[in-house]
Amino acid sequence: MGSMIIDQGLEPGTPPEKWNVSHPEKIQKIHLDYFNAGSDAVLTNTFGGSRMKLSAHKHGQSTEKYNQKAVELAREICPENCFIAGDIGPSGAFLPPVGTISVSDFEENFLEQAGYLADADIDFFCIETMVDLKEAEAAVKAARSVSNIPIFASITFQKTKRGYFTIMGDTVLNCVKTLEKAGGNVFGANCTISSDEMVDLIPLISQETNLPILAKPNAGKPQLENGKTVYLTEAKPFAKDIEQIIKNGAKVVGGCCGSNPEFIKEIAKHVKGE
Amino acid sequence: MNFAENCKESILNGDIELAKKLADKAISEKIDIDLAIDAFSLAIREAGDLFEEGEFFLPELMRSAEAMKAAMTIFEPILKEGKEDRILGKVVIGTIEGDIHDIGKTLVAALLSAEGFEVHDLGADVPINTFIDKAVEVDAQIICISALLTTTMVGQKKLINQLKEKKLRDKFKILIGGAPISKKWVEEIGADGSAENAISAVKLAREVLGI
Repeated sequence: MGSMIIDQGLEPGTPPEKWNVSHPEKIQKIHLDYFNAGSDAVLTNTFGGSRMKLSAHKHGQSTEKYNQKAVELAREICPENCFIAGDIGPSGAFLPPVGTISVSDFEENFLEQAGYLADADIDFFCIETMVDLKEAEAAVKAARSVSNIPIFASITFQKTKRGYFTIMGDTVLNCVKTLEKAGGNVFGANCTISSDEMVDLIPLISQETNLPILAKPNAGKPQLENGKTVYLTEAKPFAKDIEQIIKNGAKVVGGCCGSNPEFIKEIAKHVKGE
Repeated sequence: MNFAENCKESILNGDIELAKKLADKAISEKIDIDLAIDAFSLAIREAGDLFEEGEFFLPELMRSAEAMKAAMTIFEPILKEGKEDRILGKVVIGTIEGDIHDIGKTLVAALLSAEGFEVHDLGADVPINTFIDKAVEVDAQIICISALLTTTMVGQKKLINQLKEKKLRDKFKILIGGAPISKKWVEEIGADGSAENAISAVKLAREVLGI
């Protein structure tokens, strides 16, 4: 969603969530393109829709409206037997020593957003791209406290010489156990790592948990060509990696930065024979 | 454990209080300040290496940088008194307007400051003119511009063009950072360099100033 909105001309400094109100037809078109490509579920355009994150763009006062509208837009065009995930991304703020906020600030922030999304009738939560386990835990707890619908919790890992960790140093095991305990129903990884790295990461997750596993890799690393960012992995090899990711234990798959409906189409071909 | 080893331990453990105590001790017991600073500097570089190796993560690195900064703050008045200029250079740093990502920029600022640069961190979502005004005001040698989004990277180009228009381009070295930044982009917009990560950014800052 994010990459597509940027491609369609999002002005720098504008939160993508504003488009739920200012360009609803474009947001719906993106959702529709994904459903038509074979997606079973789409994520609402609310990744940066928490008050803390919107406030950084001076749009905090629109938190309720942006979240409600996002769900409405997806609901209107959601085909039968398909699903809408309420998307929750990081607040953009950090605990000490990196930043200055507290765990209770995180909780308050996500409680509000999760409440709006749940009230607007999503099918499940997708809490994703979390680089700090403590923030992810606060978000999962907040979502669990407002609703009993399933929670997909997805962490952003980095590959280091010693294996996969969050940038804060959380291990795969610690992330899985903490988020399971907090109320997560699906555990996963998304963003930063590419599809070939995700192939290696999934078995490490599956040996730590019986929860269903989600995998949403990036389409390779971003590179700049003639002033435009391109992601080097193309749809076909990406889908091939996804096939292996599924063999390695993932139950929910998709694409993160640099992917688009074409990628989903290729995945659907492999997975569903469409 | 000797004095230098204690200094190293304080930095690698991110122990701000110990780092301060050791800096005070160096002054009160008239230990050669250059040797003390060298010991602290070696330790912060080791912290950087540990980060690259995946032994240290963001919180450890930030704590080390803070401990280093605490020690350097104590040495500062003595250094100024002796008219010995240990400030490596003045840096103005910020994330460009429209972009609110500041974790990478904050890390670079912390490490530059720990290394001995005078760092003016303008925060995130910083207008182009604020960068330029501040750099002129403090007589900076380096301007570091961070942009994480492909939509805001153009701000780096605009800033450089603005400097050219104001005939100020040659006054500063411009370093740019952010996940999508490539060598090609550096060349295209006429910046002076870009580093893979915060550790290399410090090396690069020294390099462009020839120190």
